[in-house]
Amino acid sequence: MSAGENGDSDGRIKGIKSALRVVPNFPKPGIMFQDITTLLLDPKAFKDTIDLFVEHYKHENISVIAGIEARGFIFGPPIALAIGAKFVPLRKPKKLPGEVISEKYILEYGSDCLEMHVGAVKSGDRALVVDDLIATGGTICAAINLLERVEAEVVGCACVIEVPELKGRERLRSHGKELYVLVESQFEPTTQ
Amino acid sequence: MMNTLKISFAVLKPPTRYLPSSNSVISQKLHSPSSSPSVKPPTISPLGRGKSGGSRVYSTFAARTNFKVNCYSNMAEPNSDLKQGDVTVKDDRIARISSSIRVIPDFPKPGIMFQDITTMLLDPVAFKDTIDLFVERYKEKNISVVAGVEARGFIFGPPIALAIGAKFVPMRKPNKLPGAVISEEYSLEYGTDIMEMHVGAVQAGERTLVIDDLIATGGTLVAAINLLERVGANVVECACVIELPDLKGRDKLGGKPLFVLVN
Repeated sequence: MSAGENGDSDGRIKGIKSALRVVPNFPKPGIMFQDITTLLLDPKAFKDTIDLFVEHYKHENISVIAGIEARGFIFGPPIALAIGAKFVPLRKPKKLPGEVISEKYILEYGSDCLEMHVGAVKSGDRALVVDDLIATGGTICAAINLLERVEAEVVGCACVIEVPELKGRERLRSHGKELYVLVESQFEPTTQ
Repeated sequence: MMNTLKISFAVLKPPTRYLPSSNSVISQKLHSPSSSPSVKPPTISPLGRGKSGGSRVYSTFAARTNFKVNCYSNMAEPNSDLKQGDVTVKDDRIARISSSIRVIPDFPKPGIMFQDITTMLLDPVAFKDTIDLFVERYKEKNISVVAGVEARGFIFGPPIALAIGAKFVPMRKPNKLPGAVISEEYSLEYGTDIMEMHVGAVQAGERTLVIDDLIATGGTLVAAINLLERVGANVVECACVIELPDLKGRDKLGGKPLFVLVN
């Protein structure tokens, strides 16, 4: 469910939405890139973002926050610190030292790989996957797979932004996973 | 206008004492490669939410690695809890942080003893203590920007920024930041790399910190300092969890002070 979905006039969501910016034609023509860096320049909106995630999950007994490199590293740790959970970085290949497990996933063209440290997550850990944005859900599904391979229970996925046309929510639902987002992607390029 | 931000942390048990005396200054030899055990994954017990009592047992790699647990700063202005010059901070928290870091030999290549902070992130008390130590140092210093270097600087920078009410500015590899950027080339051991920052993220005169997990040669931090100074920002200090003193990065920062938690 989306935090703004039920006609909720939560001022915090409005502030977060207006702090985001859209950069057209990045990384390639036709893509309207949803840029969260402007949110990070607004301390109140950034704090509100973290607070909304923490409020949603703090009673869920989450023991692991898994953040996807690199923008998941910005939102995941503050959530982990606030709820007393471990933070586990999920990284591109060859970044994590020591023993890892890898999950391959499909991109628009070709494939990529996500890695997690062996031993970071234990069987029975209750995990939340965090990233800045969900598009098709491919990366997030790779993250879920890594966690489930070590028998963690993936309680849900949390993103600041959802791109509904790319149907990531449906993809997660077909794996039985809940998605919590704060805002939907915007189309108008904003001048900043 | 900066608000003072408060983040409420889960109340946790006090940290387990690893050392005989809480007041002793720990000064130990650095781990030597010849005695390095074979790499095996850390075994870290989960926090065990819902359990009462019982101590947490860690057998991380770092337990077999000796770290100095001194806090070093060459910041010129007096500080209420640190003396000038090389000082030793007697703080239980640092011992726990230090022992939560693991060393991976021969990564990314033979001969390098990689300082891995991911095991510290698996210890919520050590991670919180790390952030607290930085926040305590900077919260009254009118810092308006925390610049974090991709990617591990993204883990430590935002919690500090949130706690002190500052902006967080990511310093990134090329072609990651959308929109107008400024770029700074810097030297690597072999070849060069580029760091980028968004145009307009930082204004002239803003008091800034640069955060990364570790300082080695200092090349990355210098690139970040340069980017910030090119837009007229005032880089007040660089802060890292770990310093590798033999690589003398501290001396390469163009006179900028460096604050670290462990060597």
